[in-house]
Amino acid sequence: MSLFKDFSNGLIKENPVLRLVLGTCPTLAVTTAVFNGIGMGLAATAVLIGSNLIISLIKKLVPNEVRIPIYVVVIASFVTVVQMLIKAYAPDLDKSLGIFIPLIVVNCIILARAESFAAKNPPMNSIMDGIGMGLGFTLALVIISAFREVLGAGTFFGMQLFGAGFKPALIMILPPGGFLIFGLTIAAVNKLTARKKA
Amino acid sequence: MRDYIRLAGVLLIVCAIAAVILGYTNEITYQKIADQIEKANTEARQLVLSSADEFTKLDEAAMASIVSNPDYSIIREIYQAKAGGNLVGYTVAVAPKGYAGKIEMIVGVDVNGVVQGVKIGTNSETPGLGKNAEKPAFYEQYNSKTWDNQINVIKSGTPKENEIVAIAGSTITSKGVTEGVNKAMVVAKELSGK
Repeated sequence: MSLFKDFSNGLIKENPVLRLVLGTCPTLAVTTAVFNGIGMGLAATAVLIGSNLIISLIKKLVPNEVRIPIYVVVIASFVTVVQMLIKAYAPDLDKSLGIFIPLIVVNCIILARAESFAAKNPPMNSIMDGIGMGLGFTLALVIISAFREVLGAGTFFGMQLFGAGFKPALIMILPPGGFLIFGLTIAAVNKLTARKKA
Repeated sequence: MRDYIRLAGVLLIVCAIAAVILGYTNEITYQKIADQIEKANTEARQLVLSSADEFTKLDEAAMASIVSNPDYSIIREIYQAKAGGNLVGYTVAVAPKGYAGKIEMIVGVDVNGVVQGVKIGTNSETPGLGKNAEKPAFYEQYNSKTWDNQINVIKSGTPKENEIVAIAGSTITSKGVTEGVNKAMVVAKELSGK
């Protein structure tokens, strides 16, 4: 049961973007199109699972005082190895997701989960936390990018939605639109979860 | 004191292990990655100049004299394109400045000075805006432009013969790509001696 709880925690209750407000920089940057949101989300999920697992495994060997530099080395090495392998053996995947992978190294969600979860919990739970947080991140990216892409470009997943008469609100795919939708999404999630409690 | 040595030691060991793993991965993937890039480049050359069946890199001396000209600083690579042994054109790899860093792209120009194709490669342009330069609707505008006229960018309206319409909201990207095509045309003209 607790494994499932670790998994579901990241989806809504502690959604990294909408509740913990982590990783806002990549969120604003990649949510201009749904495809990008899904790509970034899934790539980050894969790295989260891997880095959470490794850090959970080595947690007893890491002295408390130098844990952050060690986490950074572990995460950066893991990401780089994955990137090189994808480039060499899966060039098609590299073409669609390649640009997101280097961005993940600087994604603070990964370090935050390493620090606040994986360093204190057993490997299995850490993997579940990685999956949950990763999918929660993906979910938030898809919601935000869906609004931005439909309003700002008139397309969804690259498909044209409206006739030629539709003039997309360009501001939505520009940075200001990103902040607008980001704020409104957080407000909506807060409203919904607050009502549930009452 | 001993504590500091222990901490530094652990950090050193972790970094050393990471370095070994990274070095080893690089060792086994380096050649593969280089092959993949070469394969992609060959495909790109074929795409922008489809009439050719053979590409030979411009010899180093000629290339060196081109890039020594500050006007041509954005030019990366030039290939002579041949069909059945006859020169049919040039593919010019350029990297003009876009909105967010350099835009790597490749331009195919035939010996008559007509742009046969443009392909946009690696870039960091804004997704949803400048990134739309990768779409055929934008880059196909350059097809059949000729080296007699430098291409200009207009923001809206109907383009004249030597004009292209910018991507909405991405004038800088559009101008960057146009600069790349213009330079590629000029250098191709110079090489062909016309």
